[in-house]
Amino acid sequence: MASIRLENICKHYGDVVALDDVSIEVEDNAFFCLFGPPLSGKSTILKIILGLETPDSGSVFIDDRPMNGVSPAQRNVAMVFQNLALFPHMTALQNVRFPLVERKIAEDVIAARVDEVTKKLHMQHILHKPPSQLSGGERQRVAIARALVRDPVAYLMDDPISALDARLREETRVELRRIQREMNQTVIYVTHDQEEAMSVSDQMAIFEHGRVRQVGAPHDLYDAPASTYVAEMLGAPAINLMAAGGTALNAGRPVPQQAVQLGVRPEHLRVLKDGGNTQVSAIEPMGATTILTLKAGAETMKAALHGQPEFQVGESVSLSVDPAQIHFFDKNGDTLVAV
Amino acid sequence: MTQIALSNLGKKFGSFTALAQMNLTIGDGEFVALLGPSGCGKSTTMNMIAGMVDPTEGDIRFDDRSILDVPMSRRGVGFVFQNYAIFTHMSVRENLAYGLRAQGVSASERNRRVNAMADLLQLTPMLDRRAAGLSVNILQRLAIGRSAVVEPAIFLLDEPLSNVDAAFRSVMRSELKALQRQFSQTLVYVTHDQLEAMTMADRIAVMDHGKLLQVGTPLEIYNNPQDVFVARFIGSPGMNILEGTIASSDEGKLVDLASAGRSAPLALSDRAASQGLPEKVLFGFRPEQVNPDPNGTMALPVNFVERIGARTILHLGGDGLEAKAVLDNQIAMPSIGDILRFSIDPKMVRLFDPVSGIAIGGDI
Amino acid sequence: MNGVSVKEADIAVLPQDNAGSEEKRLGFWLTLPAQCLVLFIAVFPILMQLYISMTDWSPLDGIPWYRAYELWIGFINYTDLASDSRFWAAMWRTFLVMIVCVPIQFLLGLGLAVLFVDEFPGKRWFYSTLLIPMMVVPAVAGYMFFLLFQSGGPVNDLLSLFSASPVKIAWLSDPSLALVAVMAADIWQWTPLMFLILLAGMISVPQDQQMAAVLLGASWGRRFFTIVLPRMKTIIIIALAIRTIEIFKIFDTLYIMTGGGPGVATETISVYIYKVTQQDLIWGYVAAIALAILIVLSVISAIAISRMSKGANAR
Repeated sequence: MASIRLENICKHYGDVVALDDVSIEVEDNAFFCLFGPPLSGKSTILKIILGLETPDSGSVFIDDRPMNGVSPAQRNVAMVFQNLALFPHMTALQNVRFPLVERKIAEDVIAARVDEVTKKLHMQHILHKPPSQLSGGERQRVAIARALVRDPVAYLMDDPISALDARLREETRVELRRIQREMNQTVIYVTHDQEEAMSVSDQMAIFEHGRVRQVGAPHDLYDAPASTYVAEMLGAPAINLMAAGGTALNAGRPVPQQAVQLGVRPEHLRVLKDGGNTQVSAIEPMGATTILTLKAGAETMKAALHGQPEFQVGESVSLSVDPAQIHFFDKNGDTLVAV
Repeated sequence: MTQIALSNLGKKFGSFTALAQMNLTIGDGEFVALLGPSGCGKSTTMNMIAGMVDPTEGDIRFDDRSILDVPMSRRGVGFVFQNYAIFTHMSVRENLAYGLRAQGVSASERNRRVNAMADLLQLTPMLDRRAAGLSVNILQRLAIGRSAVVEPAIFLLDEPLSNVDAAFRSVMRSELKALQRQFSQTLVYVTHDQLEAMTMADRIAVMDHGKLLQVGTPLEIYNNPQDVFVARFIGSPGMNILEGTIASSDEGKLVDLASAGRSAPLALSDRAASQGLPEKVLFGFRPEQVNPDPNGTMALPVNFVERIGARTILHLGGDGLEAKAVLDNQIAMPSIGDILRFSIDPKMVRLFDPVSGIAIGGDI
Repeated sequence: MNGVSVKEADIAVLPQDNAGSEEKRLGFWLTLPAQCLVLFIAVFPILMQLYISMTDWSPLDGIPWYRAYELWIGFINYTDLASDSRFWAAMWRTFLVMIVCVPIQFLLGLGLAVLFVDEFPGKRWFYSTLLIPMMVVPAVAGYMFFLLFQSGGPVNDLLSLFSASPVKIAWLSDPSLALVAVMAADIWQWTPLMFLILLAGMISVPQDQQMAAVLLGASWGRRFFTIVLPRMKTIIIIALAIRTIEIFKIFDTLYIMTGGGPGVATETISVYIYKVTQQDLIWGYVAAIALAILIVLSVISAIAISRMSKGANAR
């Protein structure tokens, strides 16, 4: 497997800036996630790594070798597409064998390789079926196996499980992560589901309009976002942002002078039933947690509470928060380091 | 403003039974979600209410009047399709006016109602735009507005959020819920996403393989699933189900979970105690009820750790004894390969019959 | 709907993926040979005809076509054409066939499509049977209709059933009826094509939109005229354009049935060109006629294409 490094990549399509000075380092055997809203440049990065697009400036390095002028085939990077792109007229087995057969590899080598991969993916019982007879998750596995047999230097995956239903997505993402660990692969993964991104990745890069806003381990980004943008991209319900100096919440510690906004994650809000100046305006019981929508003056906040506490709509409550859990942001939305 | 009653409703396609013995009453102004995996019969049920599919047995009544012989154009059902089925060759205004025109409402009245609906749904600025190329949340509002403007007795929504990006779904959910409150209409919502059902519905009807398994408020269903399928299907992750054997101890009956240890003595309800317990049971507990406890009577190896923002999901066990635990990030987290020792509050344990899958003794 | 965020409302308005201008240039060079070939195939015959049409060239003169400039006469062929009553009569007849046949074929085709869009017992069998006329070689169809419309033929026999005395209409030799027989043959042969195209269009109208219309209380007619037909607009234009253009090409069926006669009673434009080419041998004049028809057909196609792109924008 290989490390992948992007240095100062820029890419324009006409007047549209797709990527603006993007530098990313993906370590060997890392699961690296590109996360951002649609059209923020994630898919363009994949195309540039694959060699399907040429950057206007900047370079791609695979294992420290510059890839300028290296064709997609020579780069030996595998891609798993969003729509999986299985061949409908072939069985699962034929689909998996396809990349090797195309390369005219000896039959016994193919058989051994296919056997190894399909065993690891627990999919030998479905090999004789065509894609149309497979479930969404099984089709997913076929697509991954087809990428795995090639033994490429890295895998690029463009939102590969977004078409599955919610429950299957939760299972498949763990499966993907397990396979990546077991087979020691470098994976670059595009998604726009924040939960999925946090679940699978060792490192993630958060994109906005073709720029990387922050790179780091998911929990570091979640706990210490560098900006309101990153803070809002991660977490459901999203972080509560409110004007600094407002009365909705007692910060419990000095607010830095440059602070314009402060942010508190919904799970860090404590809600006290003591008839304070905050009203409960909606209650969403979800079983394991309960989401309260709270109104304090002009501010609306959400609190995520454990279990199934009893609240009434319209009830007056007060809020508190551990001062260490408050984020301060300046007028540009950048995080202020705690005073 | 209509009550819907389904009685013994069934549908067969040839030898395949899509729905059997469905009994459900949906109250006036209620928001009921039909929840289940694909092929469970939820869409068939909805299509029968709308009149797109005729039942092979049973009856559907709106306010005690059977509507089986009423053609679908006169049932007064507002239907929102999965992909919204907007008439893209028309303007937004023509879409909104379509139903009124079909019903022969006068031009002045039509204009008044279309404008009022557009106002309500914030569609006024784009009334004269072509409906093609509008964004998905505007299409959703337009689809609802187009049905709402003819003042249907009931609303049926067929997985309206399934084509929406994950990131945008929560916005759409709250928008939908706000709309339902505004119209305070009887609403039946079909979905396979338990989160949508839990957060929006007044009551949930969980279905599988053409059968209605349980009806209740989101919390009733979450806390007291009547069936092992329901237990697994509701929640994210769903309820853990381990195979166990009933054993006795000094403090009472408990469940032996083989290599995972033994449960604490069961807090059996009177009903369960009087019914007696089968020898083998399915032992159910919610992932968030896993209580890391060095003195706990149960233990499983950690084989995967998934940290997602505020919570961490531990994937425990392997080979037949699999469970998940959801823990707060504040506590010290075990790593892969560790053995997690834990306890479960006996009051939070749910037992199911391993053969029928039905909950034992209702509330334990 | 207070508190509903609209800020992501514009997400769906995606900018077009402009491929790099570099790639476009490369694409141009790569396809240049093919483009030249296409240009040659399409443009050369037209230029040649234009050239010949400016001369009084005939194969009897014994000079090769490229030396036809020796017989240069300028626009005389065109001024002759303008005053050629036989040409205008042929044009008028062609037009008559068009305005009778195309609408009838369209309405019949549409009606059949409406029937066939739903399931009914024996549908496959009827479907195959309906398509047979289209498969028949036009010359054979001409022969069939030639027999049908004989004065002792089956058509008259059929009409006799509804009449007191035996019907003995001389269809093909009566100048006022021969064209009717020709039209009947065309309608028989080409309604299936219209039906096939329209059925394909009708099937592609989204089912859920039709359902939505019905659930909003629309009657069958309202659904048909406000959802189905508008959404078939493009395919209807294509079908009408194909048949309209094809009418100018009617030849083989007609020539076998009537030979353009009696007299010139069924002489449509293609038959007229054939006669001028093969019997009168004035080829400069033929080229002028051909160009005139090309202009007419181009105008029809241009109208159809512009209508179609409007239809496509509406989607």
